[in-house]
Amino acid sequence: MIVSTRHKWLLLGIVILLPILAWIHLTAGIISIESGTIFDAIFSYDDNNTLQVITREIRIPRMTMAIIAGAGLSIAGLLMQTLFNNPLAGPYVLGINSGASLFVAFSIMTGIPFLTSDLGIVTNALIGAFIFGLIIVLFSELIRSQISLLLVGLMLGSFTSAIVSMLQTVSGAEELKVFTLWALGSLMRVDSAQLPLIVLIFLIGLAMTFLLVKPLNVLVMGQKQAQLMGIHYRRVRILIIFVTALLTGLITAFCGPIAFVGLAVPNLLKLLMKTQNHGVLLIAAALFGAAFVLVCDIIIQLLENSFMVPINVFTSIIGAPIVVLLVLRRLR
Amino acid sequence: MITLKDLHIGYKHSVASCSDLIIPEGEVSVLIGKNGSGKSTLLKSITGEIPLLKGDILIDGKSISSFTRKELPFAVAFVPAHFPLVDFLRVEEYIALGRSPHTSFLGRLSPKDKNEVRIAAKSLGIDHLLHRFTSELSDGEKQLSSIARAIVQESKCILLDEPTAFLDYSNKVRVHLALKEIAKELNKTILLSSHDIDLSLEIAESFIVIENASKEISQLINPTKQEILAQAFEIQ
Repeated sequence: MIVSTRHKWLLLGIVILLPILAWIHLTAGIISIESGTIFDAIFSYDDNNTLQVITREIRIPRMTMAIIAGAGLSIAGLLMQTLFNNPLAGPYVLGINSGASLFVAFSIMTGIPFLTSDLGIVTNALIGAFIFGLIIVLFSELIRSQISLLLVGLMLGSFTSAIVSMLQTVSGAEELKVFTLWALGSLMRVDSAQLPLIVLIFLIGLAMTFLLVKPLNVLVMGQKQAQLMGIHYRRVRILIIFVTALLTGLITAFCGPIAFVGLAVPNLLKLLMKTQNHGVLLIAAALFGAAFVLVCDIIIQLLENSFMVPINVFTSIIGAPIVVLLVLRRLR
Repeated sequence: MITLKDLHIGYKHSVASCSDLIIPEGEVSVLIGKNGSGKSTLLKSITGEIPLLKGDILIDGKSISSFTRKELPFAVAFVPAHFPLVDFLRVEEYIALGRSPHTSFLGRLSPKDKNEVRIAAKSLGIDHLLHRFTSELSDGEKQLSSIARAIVQESKCILLDEPTAFLDYSNKVRVHLALKEIAKELNKTILLSSHDIDLSLEIAESFIVIENASKEISQLINPTKQEILAQAFEIQ
């Protein structure tokens, strides 16, 4: 596919902007921490210095999660949109988040120690996301209409939240508290010890998406034409669902459900880059998605003095109007 | 060259059948038949989308069932009746997708690939559209882009499902003449289904006709319009 100079400038711009945003994110927050302290926390860590401990244990994990959540959900959204040939598809709308939520709810509510451990929750979130991805694939075989598939995804979400509500009524106070906090969505729940595992899973998912660049480009012409061009459609589809479930499940497990990032960012990107070259789009989705959630979380940090806004609430406030605008644009 | 051998095609029950028949290379053959007579089914059978009920289809003497997934795009290119509805897909990018069986794992285009795209676009007179979005094109321009995409695929055969169905008269003529030229210049086997019998007669000698009553697929060489109408539509 063709990479234009305009794309190169846009990508270069965001590559420069991203570290700046990350730095602003690290220094934002109620307790003011100077740049020097952040440097020391990274390069010459002293665990007796409270500010350095805050940087290492709270600020850096939170910043990393903002980047991973933004990049991962945007990529997942792009993958879903191309696979289902539907610009309004995304992991949240299609109920893939819900799958992760349902399985995490089950694992928390059981109170079994292994299931409530980090690894237990991640595993369950990944399995849940993958199963719900397969359910959506099954429905996509049965229904041709783009809108119907979105409705099925939304119904899957409603159905799941009803089951989760039922689970909540029968669960104990402690489990209920853990789950409610999780469901609000937060980038702050991760500590530095969990970070390597999360980064590793994220990088695996990211690496796998680059196996998909060529099939995704060909899929733009539709399933049948892609098959005639030598694409192993079923294999590619399972791989796409797997990568989506991996990224969505990972992020949902540690940050709770985050809405609209996967839907809004790829659509804004296509408007900006005006291409269907998935090599460019995937890189851009990762970078712009990361920048988007960083900016959201910087604003949340600035508001923290007066009131706490969960990340899921904030992305919905920004993302929902963007999606409505996109729909209006298409109907015009 | 496409050879149909003692063929029965259809989904579960036979829709149409034929004894041995050869679709020659270096020229355009036109597939004629009533709506629902099995034209699309035949095209889909040749691309391997639908399994054959009986018999065989050979491309340059090789059975289509023996082609691997990777080999198939080098044998057959297919131009569907409907153009994919996608935002932000430039004509250049769309035509270049036809090169994907030739590109490496990441799908990067070599200078040769880009050159093939330009040559194909130029030969169809759409090189001025390369930087436009496919969603902005007229129906005729869309069809020509799809044909350009099929050309750069460099397959032995090109099949087209009613390529002129939605076009105005001047575009119908343009597409027909372009196809005749491609078949001759690039020595390709081109088979297109069509209801434009008059125009087809001007560019093609070989007609594949699906008989309305017997569902028998037969070949007419240099027929008159009356012969085609009688065989395909029972109009005397």
